[in-house]
Amino acid sequence: MTAANATFHPPLCHPGYRLFDGPLGDVADVSADQIGVVGMPSDWTHSSRLGTRFGPEALRRATTLLQSMRPQGTSFDPDTSRLTKPAKDWLVDCGDAEITPQDVDATTQAIAAMTEGLTTAGAIPLALGGDHYNSFPACLGYSRGLETRAPNARFGYIQVDGHLDFSDRLGAWGSHNHATNARRISELPNIDVSNMVWVGIAGWVDGGDLALIEKQGGRVFSASDVHDLGAEEVMRQALEHAMQGCDELYLSIDIDAMDAGYLPGTGSIVHSGITPRQYYDLLDGLAEAPLGGLDIVEVSPPLDPSERTEFLAAEMLFRILRRFRTQAVTR
Amino acid sequence: MPLRSAPLPRMAGHLSFMRSQTKAICDVGPGDLAVLGIPFEDTSAPHAGQSLAPRALRETSVYFGWHANPQFSHPVDIDARQDIQTDGLHERLCDLGDLSPGPDEATHATLEAATRQICSNGGCAVILGGSDHLAETVQSALPNCQTAQLGGMPRDAHDFHIAPLSNDGAIKYNSVTTTQLAELSQWRDTSKPLFVRFDLSVFETSLSALCDRPRLGGCDLDTVAQWLSVLGQQEVSAIMLTGLNPSKSGMGIVKVGQRLMVTALLSFIYARLGFGIDDPSRPTSKENVST
Repeated sequence: MTAANATFHPPLCHPGYRLFDGPLGDVADVSADQIGVVGMPSDWTHSSRLGTRFGPEALRRATTLLQSMRPQGTSFDPDTSRLTKPAKDWLVDCGDAEITPQDVDATTQAIAAMTEGLTTAGAIPLALGGDHYNSFPACLGYSRGLETRAPNARFGYIQVDGHLDFSDRLGAWGSHNHATNARRISELPNIDVSNMVWVGIAGWVDGGDLALIEKQGGRVFSASDVHDLGAEEVMRQALEHAMQGCDELYLSIDIDAMDAGYLPGTGSIVHSGITPRQYYDLLDGLAEAPLGGLDIVEVSPPLDPSERTEFLAAEMLFRILRRFRTQAVTR
Repeated sequence: MPLRSAPLPRMAGHLSFMRSQTKAICDVGPGDLAVLGIPFEDTSAPHAGQSLAPRALRETSVYFGWHANPQFSHPVDIDARQDIQTDGLHERLCDLGDLSPGPDEATHATLEAATRQICSNGGCAVILGGSDHLAETVQSALPNCQTAQLGGMPRDAHDFHIAPLSNDGAIKYNSVTTTQLAELSQWRDTSKPLFVRFDLSVFETSLSALCDRPRLGGCDLDTVAQWLSVLGQQEVSAIMLTGLNPSKSGMGIVKVGQRLMVTALLSFIYARLGFGIDDPSRPTSKENVST
């Protein structure tokens, strides 16, 4: 790995939209317990269908447009029966990490440096992909930051995904790509595979990868489990398993767990049968979880001319962040 | 930067169905599944682009070329929690390529002759369309054949229709029932060749997303896969895939239709070749830690 890039460039892309129409700032501007947004516009580590480099921009635009329909401050949020809070109170968009095309190491360190800075300061990094590989550098920085802030702390990990992403290598793409991110995360010092949980896995998976996860105590909930047990129960069990002996949770949201009939704008589609409602119920199950960091990945706007994919993904962020973006009604 | 190479090209090289071997039609043997592309347009179809379907189906099938890629261990069906047996697939699945474009009459004659030869060799033709107007040509190569139809326009009252369903609001094929299997068994005359027509419109429109003939009330993927598995256990002479149009706006990008069709077709291929899941001689996913 190359040396960390400690210079941030917020943002490298045109700053037109910020996530949730929140304020734009540097990593150092984010306060403890606030959400610090890091864009990861990179799809160089995806093996087939590209376009997720436009994901962060699309998520910023979609959340801003949805936010405009839910005015900030003192408006009633029907999903939560709570009042929304102004985005400036709970979120800072730190722009995009510096992506170096075709240099995985440099890109990894640039993303990790931003999420490390946020975590060290006690903030919660929210990384916007990009293909799913970028989840690893986001979590790498979170892991480093957690080690600095709380040296003995451990974190659990939940990955909502159509795929395990637990391969050690993927053909010509080697060890660092969108099929190996969970494997690389499992090698970080403050996590154990027994605290890693996958939710929404569909179709064929590699038997060796699955066996390795289960032998080490990890848990895998398939799409059928979501249908049979219900989204709420699956996530209850997933959270319980992931948090055994842990202090915080890292959540990786790969949007492709949703059935491609509903959500086609992603690189590796699956036919899981998981509906938007089921996906949102899964995320609702984590709304009160002790989130230390999270990412949302694989939004590929060029693959869905209808744009519904980015709005479905934006709604996922509304769900998972509702603890931050709303407050109880005071009488 | 170190040189990184793949054991098998996924995006490059010769494109065959599921990375299967290529064969000349005269080399198709008994029990083989012989894939044949028919990249032709139906000028009466609502949208142009069906001729691109065979290539699109092959591209998607490469994802399932597990048997040909040494970097993976065996696949597991995560929903069923069952290991999938792929040994021997490479020997019995072959790709014959596409029919060459030519005058309409020559195309019909070539397809009829190809289907007849595959069947006379004891193989099963897996025909990747394309336009469904060539289905009657396939039927003409199989004298007195019975036709089981998944999706598409009903043609003959004697055919076994699986979907679209009669829209009476009461009948839903959420899974294959014993009654339906009995109906199939009663309908089937094993003295006659069996032809399966598999049209994209068999799927519920909300799943197939963009289909030339969108139909509400269709089947989900599991149901179609179950039916194809049941049919694959019969002595099928030919199966023909139709209804996919990769150039329909948006569809070629999202690839949802071709993924649905290929995923379902796997059930047919496995059943037809007698490769099941849960082979007792094979280690289960929990026992087989290869990494």
